[in-house]
Amino acid sequence: MDVKFLNPFVEAAVEVLKAEIGVNVQRGSLSLHQSALTTDDVTVLIHLVGQVYGVVMYGMNTETGIRFVSQILGQEFTTFDSLAQSGVAELGNVISGRATIKFSQAGYASNISPPTLISGRGVQISTLDFPRIVVPLQTNLGELTVHLALRENRNGKVEEFVALTPAAKGS
Amino acid sequence: MNVKFLNPFVEAAYEVLRAETGMDIHRGELRLEQGMYVTDDVTVILSLVGAVEGTVFYSMNRKTAVRFASIMMGENLSELDGLAQSGIAEIGNVITGRASMKLSENGYESNISTPSLILGKGASISTLDYPRLVVPLITDGGSVEIHLALREGKRGLKTPQIPIPAAGSVTG
Repeated sequence: MDVKFLNPFVEAAVEVLKAEIGVNVQRGSLSLHQSALTTDDVTVLIHLVGQVYGVVMYGMNTETGIRFVSQILGQEFTTFDSLAQSGVAELGNVISGRATIKFSQAGYASNISPPTLISGRGVQISTLDFPRIVVPLQTNLGELTVHLALRENRNGKVEEFVALTPAAKGS
Repeated sequence: MNVKFLNPFVEAAYEVLRAETGMDIHRGELRLEQGMYVTDDVTVILSLVGAVEGTVFYSMNRKTAVRFASIMMGENLSELDGLAQSGIAEIGNVITGRASMKLSENGYESNISTPSLILGKGASISTLDYPRLVVPLITDGGSVEIHLALREGKRGLKTPQIPIPAAGSVTG
């Protein structure tokens, strides 16, 4: 995977965690993995489609998820219920959305899919022939692990389109 | 979920499974699910982005996956190794690609993501506020369930568009 896709995600994650949760983030050491990811308690999975494509996953344990959501939604959660799940998924959504804005400023247009949440420790998620860069982000509320399996779409140049005007459509 | 997104997937799955495996396929009873999906052994997961957006997954048990992969690759695989995994992911990719072509013929243009593969029974997958339409497809080689959690994209039906020709591509 191209390392230039890493920084937009790390920056976006640091900014969003700071703004939404009010925590400072320390980046752990990066690693590159070829094999399948073995899930932690909670994994948010989001696909990217466009000039940068692939999959991004955010993993954390349940306690971290609960603490994050309590901060985001401003109420104390004790169980990881459906509201908490949607809060964590939204966190992944916002970080990825912000990262794709940074990509598009760098000239790589891409769109993100709606988030999917996978709960349950110990299943494997394979990105097949996409290697994964793993970035651990430590906060004082727990650790968020970002997994990036992204590629540049070299031949799939995004086509430029003009919309037909209603008049032209009718003729 | 809008039911008009269902048929393109069912047709595509029929056509692809039939062409790739040569088996007869029967459709089981449809159902709509709101809660979490508890995974079977193998789940291929893909997303759609565009005028239709959301997530599609294809789930099956290990035996069915190995059987399909063996037929596709033309060799007798005994376990779900890397080759078999990529074969199964490819089936999901081809079905979804074909379905998205059919959707775009109906005016819903969308792009599909790369497939990801979830291996392991018992995890829960939530599509959050997207309900899932589940279509079981029964074949001689085992059954595959298609889960569709799709909705009309924020941009809705795309307006008719024509591509701008690249500069210099028009020759006298």
